[in-house]
Amino acid sequence: MRKNIFLSALLSLTFGLSAFAQQISGSVSDDNGVPLPGATILIQGTSQGTTTDFDGNFSIESSDGSTLVISYVGYESQQLVVGSSSLNVQLVPDNALDEVVITALGISRERKSLGYGVTEVAGDDINVIKNHNIASSLTGKVAGLNITDTGSFGSASRIVLRGNNSLTGNTQALVVVDGVPINQDGINSGDSIWENKITSGGLTDVNPNDVESISVLKGPNASALYGSRAGNGVVLITTKKGVAGDDLGITLNTNITFDNPMIMPEYQNVYGQGSQGAAYTDINTNWGTANWGPQMDGSIRPDFTGGVSAYSAQPNNVEDFFQTAVRAITSISIQKGFDDGSVRFSYSNNDTQDLTPNSHLESHSFNLRGTMDLSDKLSIDAKATYFTQNVRNRKSNSGQSIYGMLYNMPRNVRLSMLERYQVENPGTPAEFKVLSYGGANAQTGNPYWMSYHDENLDRRSRFFGFFKMDYDFTDWLTAFVRVGADFTDSKIERLDKPGHHFWTSGQYQLDMANYGEFNTDFVVTANRDLTDKINLIATAGGTLSKRTSEGFNQFARNFKIPTKYFFSNAVEIAAPVHRPVMTKKVNSVYGSINLGYDDFLYLDGTLRNDWSSTLSEDNRSYAYYSASVSALLTRFIDPTEQTFDLFKVRAGYAEVGNDTDPYQLSQTFDVPGQGYLGLTTLTAPSVKLNPDLRPEQVTSTEFGLELVMLNNRLNFDISVYDISTTDLIFNVPVPAATGYQFFKQNVGEVNNKGFEVTIGGRPIQSGKFVWDTSLNFARNDNYLVSLIDDVESFAYLNSNSGDLQLRAQVGGSIGDIYGTVWETNDSGQNLVTAEGLHVISAADNLLGNAEPNFIGGWSNVFRYDNISLSLQIDGRFGGEFYSMTARDLDVNGVSAASLQYRDGVTLSGTNTGTGGANNVAITGQQYWSSQSGIAENYVYDQTNVRLREVALGYQIPNTERFGVENASIQLIGRNLFFITKDSRGGTGFGFDPENMLGTTIGAQGYQSYAAPSIRSVGVNLTLNF
Amino acid sequence: MKNYNFLIFTLLTMTLVVSCTDDFNEINERPDALASADVSAKYFVTNTQIGLFAQDRFTYWRGNLIHADRYAGQHTFGYSANWWDDGACYSYCAGWTNDTHDAWIGAYNSQLTAFTNFVKEGGELESPNYYAISLVMKALYYQLYTDTWGMIPFSEASNPDITQPAFDDQATIYSSLISDLDEAVSIIGSQTTTGSGVDMLAENDLFFAGDLQAWKGLANSMKLRLALRAYGAPGASFASSAISSAISSGVLASKNALIERDLEISQWTSAVYGDIWHNFYGGGNWHLGKSLVDPLRDNNDPRLPYMAKTSAGGTIAWNKPTEGDGVALFDKHVEYLTGVLDDQDAVYTKTANGDGYTITMPAGVNYIGQPTRLNAKIKHMLDRNLFSEPAAIVTNAHNSGNPIYPRIVFPAAESHFLIAEAITLGLAGGDAQSFYQDGLRHAMALWDVPSSEVENFIATSDMAKLNGSSEQNMEKIATQKWLAHYTDGFEAWAIVRDSGYPSVLANGVSDPDIFGLGELDGAYPQRFQYPTGMYTNNESNLQSALSTQGPDKLATKLWWAK
Repeated sequence: MRKNIFLSALLSLTFGLSAFAQQISGSVSDDNGVPLPGATILIQGTSQGTTTDFDGNFSIESSDGSTLVISYVGYESQQLVVGSSSLNVQLVPDNALDEVVITALGISRERKSLGYGVTEVAGDDINVIKNHNIASSLTGKVAGLNITDTGSFGSASRIVLRGNNSLTGNTQALVVVDGVPINQDGINSGDSIWENKITSGGLTDVNPNDVESISVLKGPNASALYGSRAGNGVVLITTKKGVAGDDLGITLNTNITFDNPMIMPEYQNVYGQGSQGAAYTDINTNWGTANWGPQMDGSIRPDFTGGVSAYSAQPNNVEDFFQTAVRAITSISIQKGFDDGSVRFSYSNNDTQDLTPNSHLESHSFNLRGTMDLSDKLSIDAKATYFTQNVRNRKSNSGQSIYGMLYNMPRNVRLSMLERYQVENPGTPAEFKVLSYGGANAQTGNPYWMSYHDENLDRRSRFFGFFKMDYDFTDWLTAFVRVGADFTDSKIERLDKPGHHFWTSGQYQLDMANYGEFNTDFVVTANRDLTDKINLIATAGGTLSKRTSEGFNQFARNFKIPTKYFFSNAVEIAAPVHRPVMTKKVNSVYGSINLGYDDFLYLDGTLRNDWSSTLSEDNRSYAYYSASVSALLTRFIDPTEQTFDLFKVRAGYAEVGNDTDPYQLSQTFDVPGQGYLGLTTLTAPSVKLNPDLRPEQVTSTEFGLELVMLNNRLNFDISVYDISTTDLIFNVPVPAATGYQFFKQNVGEVNNKGFEVTIGGRPIQSGKFVWDTSLNFARNDNYLVSLIDDVESFAYLNSNSGDLQLRAQVGGSIGDIYGTVWETNDSGQNLVTAEGLHVISAADNLLGNAEPNFIGGWSNVFRYDNISLSLQIDGRFGGEFYSMTARDLDVNGVSAASLQYRDGVTLSGTNTGTGGANNVAITGQQYWSSQSGIAENYVYDQTNVRLREVALGYQIPNTERFGVENASIQLIGRNLFFITKDSRGGTGFGFDPENMLGTTIGAQGYQSYAAPSIRSVGVNLTLNF
Repeated sequence: MKNYNFLIFTLLTMTLVVSCTDDFNEINERPDALASADVSAKYFVTNTQIGLFAQDRFTYWRGNLIHADRYAGQHTFGYSANWWDDGACYSYCAGWTNDTHDAWIGAYNSQLTAFTNFVKEGGELESPNYYAISLVMKALYYQLYTDTWGMIPFSEASNPDITQPAFDDQATIYSSLISDLDEAVSIIGSQTTTGSGVDMLAENDLFFAGDLQAWKGLANSMKLRLALRAYGAPGASFASSAISSAISSGVLASKNALIERDLEISQWTSAVYGDIWHNFYGGGNWHLGKSLVDPLRDNNDPRLPYMAKTSAGGTIAWNKPTEGDGVALFDKHVEYLTGVLDDQDAVYTKTANGDGYTITMPAGVNYIGQPTRLNAKIKHMLDRNLFSEPAAIVTNAHNSGNPIYPRIVFPAAESHFLIAEAITLGLAGGDAQSFYQDGLRHAMALWDVPSSEVENFIATSDMAKLNGSSEQNMEKIATQKWLAHYTDGFEAWAIVRDSGYPSVLANGVSDPDIFGLGELDGAYPQRFQYPTGMYTNNESNLQSALSTQGPDKLATKLWWAK
């Protein structure tokens, strides 16, 4: 065998290479001897493999004794131990579709026996077009999986399955890695309209190259065994491991993309900075962000620097601030099997630049996995992952963010004039002050200051892993014990230097937090044929779960010597806030029974009891159960299987209880760290706590139909569900007159109904050309049935000006968007104020809802010989969002839309001053300022369809002579373009409808200065040795 | 058998899981908070005081500064470097109104209710004396609350069993508060301290350091304020007797109810004017209102240099715009502003300069207030150096090492002015002018005016004498009460609405070329609109209140308004 010199050196250093490999060739055909082109040949336990050519032939380098797995869609896979150098394989059509999927607790089950919806995603589907965040990569790939992003680099996503089942509790799916739940919380998940730096957490810390497969358990039925945390579904990740007896395998992968803004706001380039039609002349007045000056005619005028320059359009002054960002993700994995065990090590390095300068993310992930058979009955499996990430200058996505300063850039401002953001050698506080386009007195930041002068350093490190011991008592009775751990440390240092546009005297802030989670499980499983026809799988187990968190926060403002920034140099130091260790424990026992009759009827039942430390003694123990049935009716409907290869119906019912956070039961008083004049003070809580809290109750009913037809060329899967949550644990907003602002109570009912459909198959299989396609779409309707008597709504978020509110509304749903409209009189005429402006209504008009009506995706893979092309188109249909950005760009007169009415307008309507038709003219500036108070004008349809992913791959042939067993290269693209999108009546609207304010339930449907979505193009290269 | 052993083991382990909940109660107790067993009443007093009168920056800015101080005509926005013009919020500002209510006035009730429930009869820290204090705080709170919004939940408030408290009309609230104050006065009687040991209230009382007789005086003064405000309103028959009993029981005559500023506290906990002034440039740096400066300057009031700075002056250009909407209005604006300067006896020269003018003004000479409600059209001419800023003691920030003017809660001066008012109205006996002049002495003492200057003013100024018609005297009293509440915009604004003085404010504005008329169409704002939260969490009671009180608009006059 031949290896290149570098690699040989590397390998001999580390392993003392000693594998004996040989070239194996062969062919794959169907049971009639017809060649199968594009069949996959994989060396088991590795990612090494090849595919058959047009004639069904293949060749692969493998060592004696290793196992080849030969698979082809619609056929049963075969495993062959390498013994000779020539193999001819006949595959048998996979009539029963004995596909095995991973279910709750990591138990593998035949898909056909399941009474609930599960979707599996292969590792390759997320690690070719890589993303810092696996969640983003799942978008569009799973029916009903609703992913929303914030757009900011390095931030987490919101992951929702089957709608929001709780008002303020957790509504996101649980993430489980190798059977161990991991913490999804970032230190900031963002729902502030002021300042939002959404951190990462959970899924973002899993290396995509380590992922073998992802199993999405969609509803309570599928996840009942995981208990309360899994009431919103589970994303189950199975990572790769080595296989006993396997050869050494090394995989190198590098993924490099070049990122640019996918979409930018559309600007006008006719009028420049100024107010009331006049350009500013005196920098001591507040120029702010107003762009209501005269036409930009190139004349020489005073500018914000105090000098003069040509007053001419700078059409790209926003876009040019962004740079092409390079993202490089490189991984290596090394695995080897031994007689009675295996080891796999991987390392991944992610170096991602942001589109804004001086801002980047760097992470390292180390993963070590080992398995070992201690005896023929006892085996162990263990994994340790260490992940560390540094982010420099994570971006906020609200009005005070860099985007707030950037997007509102007056149209005549040259970027080069902003590069000087502070005078040299500042002395007085006035000299420290930021120089920006708002003139000498403005509260407007300079994007260069924010990029190069201020600092935001964010560090996370995380350990997660498990130790698992399996014992096989007999061939039908097995047990395991598993200890899983997940520890995260995070630290954020933020510095706004003196002269900052908002924190004028400078601010230094330190946030530290750690999270820990321990889960100890033991599970016994019996799997036995009771009679010829009846098979029983029974499990019983228990879990001890302990979760802790601790935090520390301190800030300082105003520095004694304004060029150095640390606590002892600060004039004003806030009392430190330490949140002592908060512990939550949940103990559980559970069991399940799965009865199979004659391979066509399956009954499933689960029962679980939890004891939660967050509830009182009387309420802390609660039990719930699920039951489901699935029937394979193929033999009755189509006994000869001429049309149907599988005809399965299923039905399920499940209940899940849900606890709450610690410390929600008994009333306490806070001692503010800063009393007053050195005196001790006490503050009373505004939430009336409740010792009698009961667990929330989620009940779910689900029906499904799965079809496989036309010799496995077409498959269809539909799930229909109805989920109700009652006894929601909720801070009921009460009138302040009660002495509280909220009562914590079990109230109300939320209902989610919907369906998920997947249609897929292989429409074309002709010669060397194969087309595989899969289309999924889903709808969820959320309905808030009740809160408590007399309380009809709950507000998640109010805009600063009070014109918009995100609500949960009884009779409506969670995420309803309420806001102002243009007031009309009883005969429907628009009302105009005496001054000629819009009369604006109260903010109580329903303007939309943050949840889309439909989401869906369409994935296609075209293969021809060793070339493949993957395309994914996905989108969402319906649902609305409010764009604060669009509003501000109009108010400031920079948007393309604001060209309208520049010369003034007389609103048509009834003037409330005169009572007659309005004849009071207003200026364009007045018009846009006035109409921006009408929230309805800035509520947009989320409907958009985009070309999400493209990968053009080439399996490089004959690489063996370079010592490479397998090499593939893909040209990849992500977020390439919108196929359709709300375009705001043709005047252009440059924002991604999927980027929301944050990842919390209350931040959906509101967009404020989101980072531009990123369009990536690049290359993915994989080498197997 | 081995298998069965394992099953038994499993069952035992499950039993362990179930029984292993011994520490569940303990870990669910918050370690960084106090339970009721840990606390004593005095600690609540401090927070009950600062929560209402020395709140955080967020609501101080939105409630006091943006709204009340400007409505009261004491501060103005809108010089040329401001974000806003001074027409701001004469149309309903929903967000800032909500913040004022929800984050301050509404939220405060949690503090007051918790305190009251602790110390009332049957409470965990039952104490009649502390209860009397809670009743006085309750009167301060509800008077501010109802005078800002009108009808609010009162008799059914602070009862956790009533989640939808009905609104009470202002007559009910006023008369109930007067009864509460009577109860406080009777509990205190002749006591001077709250008790001994842990029950002894001292420095935790920011108003009076635990002096119960001062609390009794404050109770009577509040009663007098309430009764006089109610007097003349429909159904205020309780007012006359309350006025005479308050005066005879003894008002707060020599001590001021003030909160000394904590000079180091974070502005996000407790704000002062200077915090926002200094770090909200382009939004802060407001000027004194012309309506505030005029009565001080025109009457040679010795407080003027203590409350205001002179205009910075210098060379100020009034350039005629060459483009835009300001071109046509320029001559009118020049004429108007020239009138404003002349009306305030400003020393300056105005010379034509091309199409515009150059104003040359000496520094340190002129006290010039900025007229209220000037609009965006004239804003470009409002150079910051033309107008007077507040004195440094008003705009000093936290952590600047400089003294900061205290928070006014109830100035002793007001007690004297109120008695003078009662006498003028024929509701009490005595020499109105003597009470009035004592009021002036106390009001000026707040600004550390030397007594010689005070006495000279009293001796020489017509303003210091109640020598006119009853109405003229009422105007003087109202004006002086309003001046004594400078920096306490909510009460100052209430005085204008109640008395109609200063009439330049109460009369509103009318010229849309100069003023921001807002949705009030130039009229004077009479109240805040209800927060939007009330429409969702207590709607039916709110609607029934609106049917009594009138539309939920800024223009709707309150029960006692003139």
